[in-house]
Amino acid sequence: MSAPGVDPTLETAESLARSVRERSRTASEVVRAFLDRADRTAERLGTYLHRDRDWILAAAAAVDARIARGDDPGPLAGVPVAIKDNICVHGVPTTCGSRILEGYRPPYDAHVIERLRAAGAVPFGKTNCDEFAMGSSTENSAYAITRNPWDLERVPGGSSGGSAATVAAREAPLALGSDTGGSVRQPAAFCGVMGLKPTYGAVSRYGLVAFASSLDQIGPIATTARDTALLFNAIAGADARDMTSRPEARPVPLDDLEKGVRGLRIGVPRALLAEGLDPEIRAVFDQVAAFLQKEGASSRDVALPHAKHAIATYYLIAPAEASSNLARYDGVRYGSRVPGRDLRSMYENTRGQGFGREVTRRILLGTYALSAGYYDAYYLRAQKVRTLIRRDFIEALNGTDALLLPVTPTPPFAIGEKTDDPLAMYLNDIYSIPASLAGVPALSFPAGFTKAGLPIGLQLVGKPFDEGTLLRIARAWESASDAARRVPPIAMEAAA
Amino acid sequence: MPIDRNTVRHIAALARLKVAEAEEERYVRELQAILSYVEELQELSVEGVEPTSSVVAGSPSPLRPDEEVPCDVRDEALAAAPDRDGDYFRVPRVV
Repeated sequence: MSAPGVDPTLETAESLARSVRERSRTASEVVRAFLDRADRTAERLGTYLHRDRDWILAAAAAVDARIARGDDPGPLAGVPVAIKDNICVHGVPTTCGSRILEGYRPPYDAHVIERLRAAGAVPFGKTNCDEFAMGSSTENSAYAITRNPWDLERVPGGSSGGSAATVAAREAPLALGSDTGGSVRQPAAFCGVMGLKPTYGAVSRYGLVAFASSLDQIGPIATTARDTALLFNAIAGADARDMTSRPEARPVPLDDLEKGVRGLRIGVPRALLAEGLDPEIRAVFDQVAAFLQKEGASSRDVALPHAKHAIATYYLIAPAEASSNLARYDGVRYGSRVPGRDLRSMYENTRGQGFGREVTRRILLGTYALSAGYYDAYYLRAQKVRTLIRRDFIEALNGTDALLLPVTPTPPFAIGEKTDDPLAMYLNDIYSIPASLAGVPALSFPAGFTKAGLPIGLQLVGKPFDEGTLLRIARAWESASDAARRVPPIAMEAAA
Repeated sequence: MPIDRNTVRHIAALARLKVAEAEEERYVRELQAILSYVEELQELSVEGVEPTSSVVAGSPSPLRPDEEVPCDVRDEALAAAPDRDGDYFRVPRVV
C-alpha cells in the first residue's frame, strides 16, 4: 500500500486508482509522476512518438474536476494509459509509425478512448509501433527504434513494442496495443509484462486504424493480472459503430481471479513443443505446467493438427486484407502527398514514398493473392485452412478450460538480427498466430527469465469470451513466482 | 508460381504503388520466398471445407436503431487534407 507522496510509478494501476478515488492523491499528481518518470527514460528506449505534457495534464485535471464535483471518477481514476499510435485520439497525432500519416490528427476518439475517459483514465502518449502494426520487432517504424528495457541492444517485440516497453519500464502503468497475429502478446512476452488479445469481437475496433479487419483486436498491457482485467473491463463491450463487436463480451470480476486453479483442465499441445522451441523456454513451460498440476489443475494432451499451417494461412489472409484496407492512403484526404503529373501518378508516388518496405511487401503480396487467377489458390484456400485451424481450437477447448503454449520460440532477439530476412521474422509468430486465426482469447503472461536475464512469457488460450479463466490462471502463477515482480534495471535506476 | 520483375511491376501497378526499379529485384526475391513457403497449403485437403471470412460471420450482428446522429467533423476532417479548395478535397486534374 502506498502513502501520499511516495513515488507512484512502481505501484499497480489498481492501487493508483484507489488512492485517487480515496482522495489521498490527485489524478494530476499521479500523471505528473509518470510524465517525469517517462522523461527520464523514454528517449533512450524510443517508446513514444508523441507525448504532450500539457495536453495530458489537462486530461488529468478534468478527472480531478470530476472528483471535486463529487462525481464518481471511475475505476481507473487518474491512471495514465499509453496508447499505441494506431489508435485514434481526437486532435493528437496518429501516424501508425508511417510517413504516409505524418501530421495526421484524427477528428474523433476511438471507442476505447471514449471508454477510457469514462473510466477516469488519462490517455498518455502515443507509443511507437511497426508501421501499420506490421512487424514483430518495432523495427519497421518510420520514426524510431524501440529498445527492450531488459537489454537495450534487443528488440521489444512488435508490433506494439512501444506499449509493452513503456509498461515494462514503468513509464506508464497500463497501455493499449493491438494484436492481429500476436502484436500484443509477443512484445508483452519479450518485455516481461502481461498482454491480452481479447476474443475477436470483445472490443470495438472503431477508431483502430485497420490492418487485417478479420483479425485485429485491441488489447490491454499491464504488469499484473488484476491490472490487465481492470483495463480489459474498461474497454470491452459492444459498440454500434463496429458491426463485428459482440454483446457476449463480458467484464472479468476481479474477485474471480483469486479463485486458484483447482479443478481447471489445462490442454497442452505437445506436438507443437517438439521442434524449434528454445530449451530455456521449454524448461519454464514445464515448470509452469507442473505448478498448475500441483495446485490442483489437471493436464491433458490436445492436438492442434493444423496449427503448423497457421503462418502460411496468416501471411495470405492478413496481407490480402491489408492491401484492401491500405488502399485508402492515396494522398487525398489525410497524411502526406507526393505530387505527380496526373492523379494516378500522384497516387503511385504518394504510396511509393509514404509506405516503408514491410508495408509495401505486404501490399504487394496481398494484391497478388487477391489478383485474377490466384484468388482461389491463395486467398480462398487460406480461408478454408483457417476453418480447419479454428475447428482444432474449438475441439481442443471442448474438453479443457484453457490451453498452455509458448508465446515465442525464442527469447528477444537482437536489434537488426532479422531485418534482412522477412520470412525468418514471420516464423517467430508460430505460437501466437493460431489463436488469432481461431478468434479465441489469448493471454501472454510473465513466466520466468533466461539465465541471461531476458524475460520469458507463456501463453494461455481460452474459449470465446472467457478471458477471465486465462487471467485467473496467470494470477495463480503470478502469486507464486517472482517473474511478474521483477522490474528492469533501467526502471529501478529512474524511479525516484 | 515463379514471379519475376514483370510480376512485381504488374501488382505494383494494381496497388497504385510505385516501386523503384532498383528495388524490384529485392521484392522478387522476398515475395518468391514467402510464396514458396505458403505452397504448403496446396498439400492440404480442403475438400468440402467452408472458408472463414470472419469468426463472427455465423452470428447475427445486433442492429442499431436507424436514427440520425450528429457528426460535425467537416472542418477538422478537411483540415487534414494535403490540398483543399474551400469545402472540397483537391486532386490533380482528372479530365
